[in-house]
Amino acid sequence: MVNFNALIAALWIAPALAIVLMMAIRRPCWAEYLNLGTSVIVFGLTLTILVAVPDAGWVTGEQYILLTPLGAWVLFCVGLVYLLASIYAIGYMRLLPEENPRLHKFYALLAGFALTMLIAPLMNNPGIFWIAIDFTTIVSAFLVGFEREAECIEAAWKYLIVVSAGLALALLGIILFYWGGTFVFGPTYALTWANLREMAPKVPESLLLLAYLLTLVGFGTKVGLAPMHTWLPDAHSEGPAPVSAMLSGALLNIALLGIYRFLSIVDSGGYGLIGHTALLVLGVISLAVAGMFIVRQDGAKRLFAYSSLEHMGVLAIGFGFGGPIAFAGAMYHMINHSLTKSLMFFGAGNIMRAYGTKSMRKMRQVLRYYPVSGALWLLGAVAITGAPPFGLFLSEVTILRGGILSPNPWAVWVMAILLILIFIAFMNHFREMIWGAEAEPGEAPTLKLSVWNTLPMWLAFVPILVLGLWWPEGLWGFFQQAFMVQP
Amino acid sequence: MLDDIVLQCGQILTVILLSPLLHGFIVTMEERVQRGQGPSIFQPYRDLWKLFHKTLLIPESASWVFFVAPVMAFTAMLIVPMLIPILTNFPLPLSDMGDILGGGLILTLGSFFIFLAGLDTGQPFGGLGSSRAVMLGILAEPTLILVFVGITFLDHSMLPFVANHLLAQHPVAYWSPAHIFLIFAFFILLTVETDRLPIHSNIPYEIYMIDEARILEYSGPLLALLKWASWMKQFILYTIFLNVFFFPWGLSTTGSFGSVLLALLIILGKYGAIGLIMVAVDTMQSRLRFYRYQEPLALSFLFAVLAIVADQL
Amino acid sequence: MLIFHLDPLATSLFSLLAILALVLSFVMLASHWLKNHIYAFAAESWTIAIISASIGYYGHYPELYIIAALTAIFRGTMLPYLVLRLIKRLNIQREFTPLLKPSSSMILGAVLVIFSYEVSRQLGATLHLTDNIAVLALTCMFSLKLIGFLMMILRSEAISHILGLLVIENGIFLGSQILVPGMPALLELVIIFDLLTIVMAFGMLVRLLQVHAGTTSSRDLQKLVG
Repeated sequence: MVNFNALIAALWIAPALAIVLMMAIRRPCWAEYLNLGTSVIVFGLTLTILVAVPDAGWVTGEQYILLTPLGAWVLFCVGLVYLLASIYAIGYMRLLPEENPRLHKFYALLAGFALTMLIAPLMNNPGIFWIAIDFTTIVSAFLVGFEREAECIEAAWKYLIVVSAGLALALLGIILFYWGGTFVFGPTYALTWANLREMAPKVPESLLLLAYLLTLVGFGTKVGLAPMHTWLPDAHSEGPAPVSAMLSGALLNIALLGIYRFLSIVDSGGYGLIGHTALLVLGVISLAVAGMFIVRQDGAKRLFAYSSLEHMGVLAIGFGFGGPIAFAGAMYHMINHSLTKSLMFFGAGNIMRAYGTKSMRKMRQVLRYYPVSGALWLLGAVAITGAPPFGLFLSEVTILRGGILSPNPWAVWVMAILLILIFIAFMNHFREMIWGAEAEPGEAPTLKLSVWNTLPMWLAFVPILVLGLWWPEGLWGFFQQAFMVQP
Repeated sequence: MLDDIVLQCGQILTVILLSPLLHGFIVTMEERVQRGQGPSIFQPYRDLWKLFHKTLLIPESASWVFFVAPVMAFTAMLIVPMLIPILTNFPLPLSDMGDILGGGLILTLGSFFIFLAGLDTGQPFGGLGSSRAVMLGILAEPTLILVFVGITFLDHSMLPFVANHLLAQHPVAYWSPAHIFLIFAFFILLTVETDRLPIHSNIPYEIYMIDEARILEYSGPLLALLKWASWMKQFILYTIFLNVFFFPWGLSTTGSFGSVLLALLIILGKYGAIGLIMVAVDTMQSRLRFYRYQEPLALSFLFAVLAIVADQL
Repeated sequence: MLIFHLDPLATSLFSLLAILALVLSFVMLASHWLKNHIYAFAAESWTIAIISASIGYYGHYPELYIIAALTAIFRGTMLPYLVLRLIKRLNIQREFTPLLKPSSSMILGAVLVIFSYEVSRQLGATLHLTDNIAVLALTCMFSLKLIGFLMMILRSEAISHILGLLVIENGIFLGSQILVPGMPALLELVIIFDLLTIVMAFGMLVRLLQVHAGTTSSRDLQKLVG
């Protein structure tokens, strides 16, 4: 019997210890390797938790910690992206020698960000879940504004304001949920997901739906669903590349987990159709908005930020369809998206540093100067738009399959058309970058990319290829189990 | 036990006779606060006497409105004291001729005729004064109606006497949020209607005038009637503010001669106190631009709305 | 539950205090000067602390006294002090470019109050709670939230955005004190400290904004578009 208490304690203590050490020893190279070591330990622990997770939800730690299959899956995505981002950060930050004196702060913030992201999915109390997400916002805002330029600070400011406003709405929703429960349980009771699910059938419809919509919009702001997405392109594009990868690949999943848990509360109240449809509509709008902005996009990392918006839309559609098939597709999509998005952000970081510009118009003949990175990047672009033989294709097709059986089959058509549109737009951008007109002779990039920059891209690429060709049977069973039990 | 009819006439006589005193008191106190000497508080009586003995000069462009307007205004101000509690807190005969909304409408009728009088002669300053006063009125009149609606919701009746009884006898109703909001809302309206808002100018330059510019063309007895009408309007508004909203005590309950005299004395005290507060409001703030009139009136509107909402809760 | 058996004196005390908090938020809408906004916010926080203490007294929740004291200290004193310090450092006195005049924002705020009242009344009707202080608490909570959002939308100064957020949180806190006084004290404590952290983070960011971007008005922060 695995001792989950010890595992979770180690999971939290490792980054905390690393932060303390990094702030004490202010040398950059110590900070780099401390962070790398922590990320390896965290990855190993999350993998262990995932493999050993009990079949049903498991509560421990004085009723404060909750371990469910879906939570363990999200935790594993966090650990994975943290590992990849840590490896890449070493190479990326070495390209910014002017940041050397502050580098230990960067790694401390990165470890702190990872720590807060590791706390949130395990919380049994929705209120503390909210607080953890609030802390992730604050820490990541400082990470986004780490390079002290005007645009970075502006992006960090917009991120913090918009997301805090959204989270305030979510807090209102949580209070309303708790209030509904006081009619059933009495004035004082423990605020846990299970208790809320239990009280849902006995609470009037309007209160339940109002609270759910508030939390949907609130946490939807955190996920970046349109029309609350306005912070997402700025924050994801202005931060350093490893931070963008962690934001896109890990943080958005956690907020979506929160939305799904509240959706399950509404489900047990009997109003599942409205709840699922609301989430579905938000997902479709996100997909549409993302499509429109991807078509005419110039910044490299901004393009991938809108791609994150697109994929969060797909995930929202997947969860919104309901049913075991769409759910399994959405879970598979989570890990594929984390890997692919990390790959793309790493590539973008490399190419941006090499060409010295953010604008895609100025990046030309990428394959000629960087055959390995460029090829990986191009294949990643094919992957991220959902083309076979990569993992995202399988997950999106599964979601579409689940959608046909759902009460909202119209969304299947919309999603398919929008995905095709986004594929065309993306490939257009990459076509220009790879086979576009030759750049000026003086603008040829001369940067040599170290192994720290390219290794994480390989590490991210290979699993997408593998997962795209082979959906493990054990994973399918795991997804089914996750669907049956509480999220 | 005085006859009810005597009491009713007494109420009207109180308004007629005491309103110049109130105006004189406020003007003198403003001067004293600003370290001046100020005229005697009985000066308005002397002004009225003087004006009634002067000749009447009529501009060539005047029409019948010129003669009718002061008479209409004065008459309207004579009717309203019959409807509101001034000396007694029980309704007198003819008091149910109009409820609080009716009283407000008759007050507005008087003001309306003064607006017309300002426009009638076709002179520029008359139009200036009338248009400015109407601008204030556009925001002030709906708020006044809202305040009356609010007090109606509070006491479930449209007669001011019922409100007076309710507030005097039930502290819970007096201190309820709805009532406190109504006090604030009506106080702001009071400053607007009696020209004590910090946008009204103290110095009688024509270009700054708002209300005095309307009556620039008048002279002699008609001017006396107009001035008296505006003083009576001030007195009536103070009455409504005090006896219906703010300080419903101090009214005669039995109607005997002694209690009426006592009520008169208390009137002097109450109105003097509110007059002093008005003086403070007017002199503490330097003059603001005219367009800032929207802010206190919006605040008053807000308070009236909040009062109605708070009353439903 | 507490709101079911409250004596009338307590009910009028709570309703008076809740509406006072609402009126103070209107002061924030109406005033031109940023300092007045902050004083109004401080007064509002103190009002909410008094509400907490009264609920602790009437409902026999001793932990609410501690929460009331912490609210008064952190939300009522420290937060306004921090924001005042920021204003002094940034050297801004007035909200220079609001989208709506103060008088129009007040009217809009009144419309929002009416809207929240309607919503709360419907909620109260389904829960069979009409004529109860719960409807007032819900109205104040929703109105404060909507007025906070109004402040954030119609203003371009960074400080106004922070204040709008704090007003929203104030509204939620007010509602939670009246509606769910039995909520675990741990949650309320952590939310208070969370707010403190947020404001400190905001403070640092705003100073960085001033230094690197040269402005704190969102109207000038237009570099990231598309």
